[in-house]
Amino acid sequence: MRIFRFVVRRLLQLIPVLLGVVVLAFLLVRVLPGDPVRSILGQNATEEDAAAARARFGLDQSLWQQFLDYLRGLVTGDFGTSIQSGNSVGSEMALRVGPTLELVVIAVSIALVVATVLGIWSAKRANRVGDHSVRMFALVGNSIPEFWLGLVLVLVGYSILGWFPAPNGRVDPDTNLTPLTGADLVDAVLTANGPAIASAAAYLVLPVLTLVVGVVAPLLRSVRASALEVLHSESYAAAKAHGLRDRTLHYGYLLRATLVRLPSLAALVFGTAIGSTVLVEYVYSWQGFGQWALRGLLYRDYPVVQASVLVIALCYVLVFLIADVVHAILDPRVRL
Amino acid sequence: MAELRAAVSGDSAQTPVVVAGGDRDSRFARRMIIVGATILSVVALVAVFAPLLSPWGETEIDPANTLVAPGGNHLLGTDGNGMDIWSRVLYAARLDLGIALAAVALAVVVGTLLGLVAGYFGGWLDDVLMRVVDIFQSFPTFILALAVAALLGNGTINLIITIAAVNAPAYARLVRAEVRSLRELPFVDAAITSGASPVGVLWRHLLPNSLTPVRVIAPLNCGWAMLTLAGLSFLGLGVSIPEAEWGAMISLGAADVVGGRWWTSVPPGLALFVCVLGFSLLGEGLQDRANAKRR
Repeated sequence: MRIFRFVVRRLLQLIPVLLGVVVLAFLLVRVLPGDPVRSILGQNATEEDAAAARARFGLDQSLWQQFLDYLRGLVTGDFGTSIQSGNSVGSEMALRVGPTLELVVIAVSIALVVATVLGIWSAKRANRVGDHSVRMFALVGNSIPEFWLGLVLVLVGYSILGWFPAPNGRVDPDTNLTPLTGADLVDAVLTANGPAIASAAAYLVLPVLTLVVGVVAPLLRSVRASALEVLHSESYAAAKAHGLRDRTLHYGYLLRATLVRLPSLAALVFGTAIGSTVLVEYVYSWQGFGQWALRGLLYRDYPVVQASVLVIALCYVLVFLIADVVHAILDPRVRL
Repeated sequence: MAELRAAVSGDSAQTPVVVAGGDRDSRFARRMIIVGATILSVVALVAVFAPLLSPWGETEIDPANTLVAPGGNHLLGTDGNGMDIWSRVLYAARLDLGIALAAVALAVVVGTLLGLVAGYFGGWLDDVLMRVVDIFQSFPTFILALAVAALLGNGTINLIITIAAVNAPAYARLVRAEVRSLRELPFVDAAITSGASPVGVLWRHLLPNSLTPVRVIAPLNCGWAMLTLAGLSFLGLGVSIPEAEWGAMISLGAADVVGGRWWTSVPPGLALFVCVLGFSLLGEGLQDRANAKRR
């Protein structure tokens, strides 16, 4: 019941924040120099054409009216119409979220396993050579510019070794994959398209590897820190003093207590990764959510920018809430 | 991704980890601090003496030799514009180090002030300030960057403001939490009873004491700031060619990589990586030391 009250209070706190984000995004895209309709009309368009296009997207109305219309649409789940493509922003976004999610889900899953195994191994050897090497690895992952790492992997994996495809998309177009969810590996499996499965998997390797190196470092540090905390706790010392078997100690005491904080951390990593994969997507021409948002920004496609800002902000604030709640459920000592 | 690193490390900063291990531990921490400080000193020296160390000018073009491989007249080759990579990698230390340090300094000042005020006065002021901080923290970096550039014009100052705006919320939170726990301590009550004004209490007592965690986070933050700057430039939203900046140079060379021409983008990225690693080592060492003290 306390958790329920806590969630409701936090959700209420989110309302002013999200409203602030909506207002800020709405105003900011409109102060950017550049005209969204000019970029779709081309050079030979007359002033009348531009005025007609502006009227079509409601850009001729007062700022207040535009904002109210936008809010009214948002409440009913309508993100508006893209100025560049003329499609509904909601359905366009749905197509772009799939590829990014595919990338992030695979990378975060791998990172979680690596971080758990290495983090606990490292904590058990605290301040010995093995531990120091793991910590150096985490520091390197924390310091490496991931877009550059992506380029280096392309250089080695494609240009020099030729093992992986060029960074020009998500699947070989010759495999005639029918898009369903946008996540190509899933689509290929669902349509039982053998060549597409192989191709999509090959295209996934390098970007996933790039993302894993960036994501694993903070997770690894956190797991190592929690494991150390458990190893030096009185309850662990007591269990050890009672002569419990190593296996029981390892799985029943160390692993369990260490992993309490991991789900909330995973939520955090996951939520922030949606908005921050833009650099990796850019390097591999992944055409996911991040690149879609960036393109909208460069072409001043107001509805696209507004929608992407809102979604990124929503992910960000929600994962912090989820992280807190999950942590509270798993660890009864936490008071909300 | 820099925000993610900030968010996650902020999470672990709230719960100090007790690390055991006596001499070996502090020796490792000391070694990290020494190596990190050495790397950063070298980068700073390179930034200052770049004109003496580079055979070519920062934006000097050798029109007869575009995209030539390393060797001969050009130690690390040239880019597609015929500019010398080695010289530009050295010169870039100026902008990268300068912008990152200035941005973090600005973020520390603004964030600390906000955190002090919010934590000390509490109530509705605290609520309003923290919601504003929330809005800034949840706003995507690259959109903020472009908007600030559009509002104030393109340039170095605006990049500093943008990166500071992204990083200031973390300091505001950190200092606010610190102030709120410090306020409960008897020495603050003593100061108030002996007639100190609120400003006096804030300035003389709470500020110096709440800066301890800030000092530990700031070096790590400089590294993230540098990665953010380079990322923005890579996407074409930060420093642009022909100015020498590591991220912009990597971006210019990105297309060459597919053809196997590594020298346009690998050296600037390596320089960026080593410099950020310097900040990380320094920050991690300081954090270890702070944790050991808390124990």
